[in-house]
Amino acid sequence: MKVVTYAVLILAMVAFGFGVYRAAGALKTDSGRVVQPSSTSAPALPGTMYVAQQGALYRFKDGSFTQITKDSGWTQPAASPDGTHLVAVMRQQNFSDLYTLYPNGQIQQQLTHHESPQVEYNHWSFYPRFNADGSRVFSSYDDKDPYSSYRVDFAIYALADDGSGSVLQWTVPNDYTGGDADPQPLRGGGLIYTKYSIDDKSQVHSQLWFASAAGRPGTALTQPADNCSQPSLSPDQTSVAMICRHSDLQATDVVVAKFDSATLTLGPAKVLVLGQLSASPVFSPDGQTLAFLAPVQPGEGFQLWTVPAAASASPSAARPITQSLSLDSSAPPAWVK
Amino acid sequence: MGEFAPGRVRAPSTGRPALPLPRTSRIIAGFLLAGVIGLMAYFLPVLQSTTTPVVTSGGGILNPIAGPTQPFTVLLLGSDDDSKFAADQYNTQSMILVRVDPAGKQVTMLSIPRDLWVPIAGQRGVGKIDTAYQTGGVDAAIATVQQNFQVHIDDYVWIGLKGLIKLIDTMGGVNLVVTNPVMDDFYPADINTSSPYGYYRVALLPGPVHLDGVHALQYVRSRHGDLRGDFARSERQQELLLAMKAQAKHLNIANLPDLATAMSGEVKTSISLQRMRQLFSVLDQYNTGSLQRVLLGPPYTSDGWAGGQSVVLPDWRQILPLVHQSFPQ
Repeated sequence: MKVVTYAVLILAMVAFGFGVYRAAGALKTDSGRVVQPSSTSAPALPGTMYVAQQGALYRFKDGSFTQITKDSGWTQPAASPDGTHLVAVMRQQNFSDLYTLYPNGQIQQQLTHHESPQVEYNHWSFYPRFNADGSRVFSSYDDKDPYSSYRVDFAIYALADDGSGSVLQWTVPNDYTGGDADPQPLRGGGLIYTKYSIDDKSQVHSQLWFASAAGRPGTALTQPADNCSQPSLSPDQTSVAMICRHSDLQATDVVVAKFDSATLTLGPAKVLVLGQLSASPVFSPDGQTLAFLAPVQPGEGFQLWTVPAAASASPSAARPITQSLSLDSSAPPAWVK
Repeated sequence: MGEFAPGRVRAPSTGRPALPLPRTSRIIAGFLLAGVIGLMAYFLPVLQSTTTPVVTSGGGILNPIAGPTQPFTVLLLGSDDDSKFAADQYNTQSMILVRVDPAGKQVTMLSIPRDLWVPIAGQRGVGKIDTAYQTGGVDAAIATVQQNFQVHIDDYVWIGLKGLIKLIDTMGGVNLVVTNPVMDDFYPADINTSSPYGYYRVALLPGPVHLDGVHALQYVRSRHGDLRGDFARSERQQELLLAMKAQAKHLNIANLPDLATAMSGEVKTSISLQRMRQLFSVLDQYNTGSLQRVLLGPPYTSDGWAGGQSVVLPDWRQILPLVHQSFPQ
């Protein structure tokens, strides 16, 4: 009996020691913990939203996420004007291609073919956006510089979405800056996008620009010092949401400004979210709400947030919709009715 | 009451002398011992890293670390340590002097161009500053920086490619703002490969991002597609340091074993892991407004040609006054 008692005691002590070991481990910060969207739920938002995480696309509807593609490099979904299909990027190590997809994630058509056996002859396409009538897809594409294989800058191209290969170059990037990104086609035929530049003091700037037609010189809509990027048009195209980075702080603001298409100017910027690491704002289908991506806790993955889009909204009105995800912050949510 | 009630303690019948502790106390002591062993097992990687310091011979020339209230200077070194190079025969592609002044609440980061053409400590001639480590180890790297920049270095940290990846992954990644697309069609594919001369394409998209170790390394290593070349890379290295500092704020003592394991063999430093954590704590007291970032681009340096290679030529008349504003001799 005594032996049994001692054995039980020793076992209990070992278990206690192991418990202390485990308890110490449980105390550590695990900021890398990420869950799949489809294994979680979130407060419902009106309409349907498509987001990307770790190479897969997810549909968010009625508070639930559904994975609609395999995790094979999918990112940056955008909806067609009638909402019947998506265009998205499938990214591999050395190239990326644009595809149109049905809302269930099934591939409809491959729009580009950028793969090459020679590494440097591959191409990228990112930031796909349908134009107003859905006949063309705008995107950023890295044309090759015949005089310098080191120069890889995005220019914005428009291609027919029928797979015919018909393409049109819209913008001319600044050399060795990374180029032009985030095309937002306007109903009137113009284009708002982000242009990157490097000044004579070696400072990098991002500005919103407007181009009236393919190949035409553009017009800057924001100042270099404001470092604004990632524009998103409201459904009625009278407002632009964007992120702006002041000084070199590792933080951004989500701001909205009225866009006057007659004078090609932006009105005063209203800050909706201040000083977070906010990315990729998009308007809701009714234009009343902005969704954007930002960490809830500093250092963690990006979550889905919403904030009222009205200029009178308080910066503190932003609220996180998800927890423990790691959404692709370079992929603005596609939000449709 | 059960058998272990103090009132029923009896001397063993084996004839051996009774233990001085009452039985209940022995049981409690046993549990405490088990708990201590559990804690020691958990922190074993930390204990190993402190009892077997990763300090190289360079530690011999280093002064003891100053107290947390005293200013101190750390030289951060980063190397491509892939299989193209013999063990510990690396160039230091990244060299950053960090000055922390707790009293003045000021942190200064000075990036040294890797191609800076300077006299190398222990060598007769001049060479690119990034070769000092290759020719004379960390001693030579530190001495070369000290002699040329006329500064005093208290400590150093060296990290290789895999070390940086593992460190950042262990931290759970980092968040930062990519200021413009980072594009490189000739990024070296030299990690975890038998063919270290290959390359692949990198496109880090701009905006706020969460980067894992591999992508963070791409961010600080890529240089081909940027107008500013190496200076852009230096700037991104400073930004990554800031992001790592911010990330470290969310770690606690329970994360130390993972960090120690990640850094084991991948990081060389004259600073103990415990001390490094203190440094992160000190740095955490500063916001980015109290942080000065210095890059030695024009007019402090100019592109040139020397020794049959493209180099960066220093203008010491301009560099030294700038350096000595923050880094005492």
